Amino acid sequence: MLAKNRKITLILSLISAIIGVMLAIQLKSNLQPVKSESRSIAELRATLQKELEKHKSLLADISKYNQLIYQYETSLDEGESISVMKEELARTRKLAGLESLEGAGAVVRIVDAPLPANTADSALESGQDAAGVYPNAVIDEDLRWLANILFANGAKAVSINGHRLIATTAIRNVGEDIQIDTKTIKPPYEIRALGDPEVLISGMKLEGVEENFKLTGKTLMIEKRDKLIIPAYNETRVIQYMKPVKTKGEQ
Amino acid sequence: MWLPLIGLALGIAVGLLLDWRVPQEYSSYLSIALLAGLDTIFGGIRSYLERTFNVRIFMSGFFFNTLFAAGLAFLGAFLGIDLYLAAIVAFGVRLFNNLAVIRRIILSKWINQG
Repeated sequence: MLAKNRKITLILSLISAIIGVMLAIQLKSNLQPVKSESRSIAELRATLQKELEKHKSLLADISKYNQLIYQYETSLDEGESISVMKEELARTRKLAGLESLEGAGAVVRIVDAPLPANTADSALESGQDAAGVYPNAVIDEDLRWLANILFANGAKAVSINGHRLIATTAIRNVGEDIQIDTKTIKPPYEIRALGDPEVLISGMKLEGVEENFKLTGKTLMIEKRDKLIIPAYNETRVIQYMKPVKTKGEQ
Repeated sequence: MWLPLIGLALGIAVGLLLDWRVPQEYSSYLSIALLAGLDTIFGGIRSYLERTFNVRIFMSGFFFNTLFAAGLAFLGAFLGIDLYLAAIVAFGVRLFNNLAVIRRIILSKWINQG
């Protein structure tokens, strides 16, 4: 009986051991953090669908914001380029003489020289006498020469009797008068030039401008000005017969 | 009498040390086999206490119960019938039955002794 009992105990122990192994394995398998999916397929599908929609909307958001960024960037660029273009345009307009300018400069007035010997009448007569041809008159060449001297001495802008001289300006005699481009000007002539006043004046003196005008009976009244206003060129200009030459780089 | 408990502890230790893992899909079979095993153990204890213990019946009961439980569960999964649940219910009921009988026997013994 004892032997049989021992045998039974042994078998029970063996079986217990087997059960223990199974228990341990089961425990381990269940303790593993692998979360078993307890939801049904339909539920999973619904969840997947939801997540996909979320993903899609997020993607849409991303693209929207990207577009926004792009817009901001381009608008920034445009803003910059517009301001650059404006600056360039303003500079070009100044150089082309389409803007009124102000600054330091010199004013030259060509007035009749007081004739010490004669009375006003005789002066008038002598003027008339000397001929119908106005021997004492200032001619276009004088003005051209003067303007040229001014430009040569660093004048940035020159106007004659309020008419701005630009790159294409012509000064010529038309009949008894002088025309600047298409505008007739009458004496007394006033020439304004922007630039370093000292340089302008000494330049004129060096060229003997005063002496030259004295020959025609005129006196030059030269003034320095700290603040001088030169009007803009006010005639319309037509772009014709000209086209910018395209270089390869710009195409 | 302590040997089975020592055997159980040893088995658990070995199982933990062996680091076997049952794949997720076979976990239910193992659990049902485990349930059958437990049922057999308690049945054995009960029959021992009732002095009707038979080694052969016990051994065959243990192995056949575990294998059949797992096999039936597998078959059920294969056929689409939840035999797995039936096995759990059957073994669970028997387990509690056995436990109740064991408790009563031990209690009556204790009272008789007292």
